[in-house]
Amino acid sequence: MDSSMLIERFIRNSSAAQAINITITADELQKTIPTLDAQFVNIEPPFDIWNVSTKITEKGIDKAIIQADLAIAETGTVVINSTSEDIRLATCLCEHLFVVIKASEILSTLEDAGDYLHENHLQNNAYTAFITGPSRTADIERVLTIGVHGPTAVTVYIVSDC
Amino acid sequence: MKIKQIIKKKINDDVLYNNLKNFASGYKISRQKAMEGLDFDELRKEIYKIKDRSKEDLLKLFNRFKENVESPTCKVFHAETSDEANSIIADICKAHNARYIVKSKSMTSEEIRLNDHLEKEGLRPIETDLGEWILQIGGEHPSHMVMPAIHKSRQQIAKIFEKHTSESIDPDDIEKMVKIARKYLREYFFKAEVGITGANVAIADTGTIGIVTNEGNARLTTTVPPVHIVLVGYEKLVKDFTDALKIIRLLPKSATGQVISTYVTWIKGSNPSTKSNIDVKYTYYVFLDNGRLSFFEHPFLKDALKCIRCGSCANVCPSYEMVGGHVFGDVYIGAIGSILTALIHSEKKANDILNLCIGCKACSANCPSNIDLQKIISNLNVYLKEKYPLNLLKKFTYDFELKNPLIQKQTMKVMTIVQIPFEDKHYLNLHKIPIINKAHQFRMFPSVKKNTFSASYKEKGLDKVKSKKKVFFYPGCAVEYFYPDMGLKMMEFLNKAGYQVDIPEVSVCCGLPAIHAGDGKSAKETILKNVRHMGDYLEYEAFLVLCPSCGMAIKEEYKTYLFDHIAEYKKINGIGEKVISFAQFIKEKGLTLQTDNQKIYTYHTPCHQGRGLQFDTEGFLKEILGDRFVNLKDSNVCCGFGGSFSFDFPEVSGGILAKKIENILATNADCVLTDCPGCIMQIDGGLKAKGHDIEVKHISEIF
Repeated sequence: MDSSMLIERFIRNSSAAQAINITITADELQKTIPTLDAQFVNIEPPFDIWNVSTKITEKGIDKAIIQADLAIAETGTVVINSTSEDIRLATCLCEHLFVVIKASEILSTLEDAGDYLHENHLQNNAYTAFITGPSRTADIERVLTIGVHGPTAVTVYIVSDC
Repeated sequence: MKIKQIIKKKINDDVLYNNLKNFASGYKISRQKAMEGLDFDELRKEIYKIKDRSKEDLLKLFNRFKENVESPTCKVFHAETSDEANSIIADICKAHNARYIVKSKSMTSEEIRLNDHLEKEGLRPIETDLGEWILQIGGEHPSHMVMPAIHKSRQQIAKIFEKHTSESIDPDDIEKMVKIARKYLREYFFKAEVGITGANVAIADTGTIGIVTNEGNARLTTTVPPVHIVLVGYEKLVKDFTDALKIIRLLPKSATGQVISTYVTWIKGSNPSTKSNIDVKYTYYVFLDNGRLSFFEHPFLKDALKCIRCGSCANVCPSYEMVGGHVFGDVYIGAIGSILTALIHSEKKANDILNLCIGCKACSANCPSNIDLQKIISNLNVYLKEKYPLNLLKKFTYDFELKNPLIQKQTMKVMTIVQIPFEDKHYLNLHKIPIINKAHQFRMFPSVKKNTFSASYKEKGLDKVKSKKKVFFYPGCAVEYFYPDMGLKMMEFLNKAGYQVDIPEVSVCCGLPAIHAGDGKSAKETILKNVRHMGDYLEYEAFLVLCPSCGMAIKEEYKTYLFDHIAEYKKINGIGEKVISFAQFIKEKGLTLQTDNQKIYTYHTPCHQGRGLQFDTEGFLKEILGDRFVNLKDSNVCCGFGGSFSFDFPEVSGGILAKKIENILATNADCVLTDCPGCIMQIDGGLKAKGHDIEVKHISEIF
């Protein structure tokens, strides 16, 4: 499957899970992120972005921006290495989660993430999160309600030229 | 309360009825959508293979998991019983001076009644899954494995919330209720010293667990508190991530019809934790045996340990849809629940639940682990009925009447006379019969016909029709005694098409009623008689049936009862390969079936046609009827007949039928076609009882 088809498939499935998907260039991303004014930012090179860290308490935070290692087109999922406690707290306790994924890191199927997971979990400890859309429940009369314990909104930036 | 009384109560629970009905129809649509483009059968075979292992294999996986994850801050335990698991967990909590414990949903913890135990020890476990929390503060147990509070209405939940929070709550503001739960539970995540979760998979090669959730509560449970305890059944072990991901692909699709759940969390060992005095989490894994390990070597019960706990066997079960998980299940619900109840909890309780199985095979057809749940239930029934025998009337029916064709014939003959005062055209007027309970009046019942099919066959000289092209027709009891015309119409068609049609010398019940009731001994004797009366498979092009239940029994069930009868086994193997429904025969032989009227038709798929003989009759009818065919919603959902089931549980049977009728009326068709005389008894009888004059016909009767 070529890259544009993977992106298209990813967006289709991610949108079906109520995530907002935005295709963006690396330059645009670098300009956009500071304007979001997030309380927590964790972005890796090659992006030249100032990371922000805040102590996260029970009250939670408004916005967190996290870079995912991988995405899975089959399910519209982003894969975030969450071994760091800060990343776990930020992704669990923010109201709006922004995720950055390089287009070249979008995989086709779930099994394609197997090697990555295996490798990461050869360490003594590891915590990897698959996230697909905002937190949800249908526990009351099967009515879909967004945002139970986790974020009420998820936006995925797909960096097309990376 | 006796089970029948509980059933009556549940049937009259409007909230339960509507919630389960809406869920069942919504689920089927979303599941189908989520499965689009996937080869479900191929994928579930893979899961079956992944989960097909011996006790020895499993212990190896356990040891490997343990080696890979254990460290000074991370321990792995084996718990042989639920008591042992409860003690291990309570001891860990006490060692960490815990008072509050947050839990994310774990059916295994329900299995061992962990909350009760922790509370007895003075600890405060808090369920954080919204549904589980509602039930915990309302003092109830789950009625579904994935949607624990599906039996509750928004009004009932609002009341529970009001009582707990002393806030006034608008029942129609579900969003507000969810916000309240978020606020209340957030506090506990931070107060708790311990987080307890289950696991959907445990990966031996790395020592990782995978947890599937939608709400994000498992993520908080495993992030905020300094201690994490995992309670997991041994059967959740898999070798590697490849296997685990295959399970994750089908689990949410089968559970809720989602392509994937919002969160899949992969956790290994002691991750960083600022709340911990050693900066990393204390982590404990409790692997629960509780009887599981003994069954990994069992010839058929071992398959029950392949379950991935999606709950789809309940989602598609027509009986569950009527009575809910508090009746159809114990801790685990649905078909797998009834089986696990026998394995883990109580045979007596399992026996009660198993009786509620209507035999439609929807559970088997939808199981993502490819477990033939129906077959396990059948086998288990035979064993349980030795301990908890059938009532005398049933024992008499299977062991005496149905097994002895001459006695059955005589009884039916007597019926033709006894029924006279109650006969109304071709039906029995049930409300005129004093001993018949009102509950049975949801349908009209056909009267026994004076001439049996076999007698008419001889009278009309059909046995004299000879041809080189020969087929064998097995009429079964329904055609023989209630609907001889169905058989005669088919004979007429086949004779015209140049076929010689032979029938058994003596008409014997196919044995399925005895099999399903659990009377294995009578079933075997009935089957043996039948096989002896059937023609030689080498002589005939096909063995035709008008009742797919008889056909399925001959094709699938007979062999398992004939392991120790070599000649009969060989014969039935040959016959089984040639068993075919009338519609499939016409299609395969390229015969033309012409209807000369302008009626609009719809089609109900009998359970044992769609999931037994597996011919796409609906597709065939669309071809020949074109725009005179309209689709029936949930065509392949059971009509509620299930043979003796409809007599044992008339309220459940009638309830299932009412939904079928609702769908039929919505088609505006003039005639419902189907190809099972049992379904016709039920659907035609139900429509007549409600005063609808829609025709219900067997495919053999429409040309």
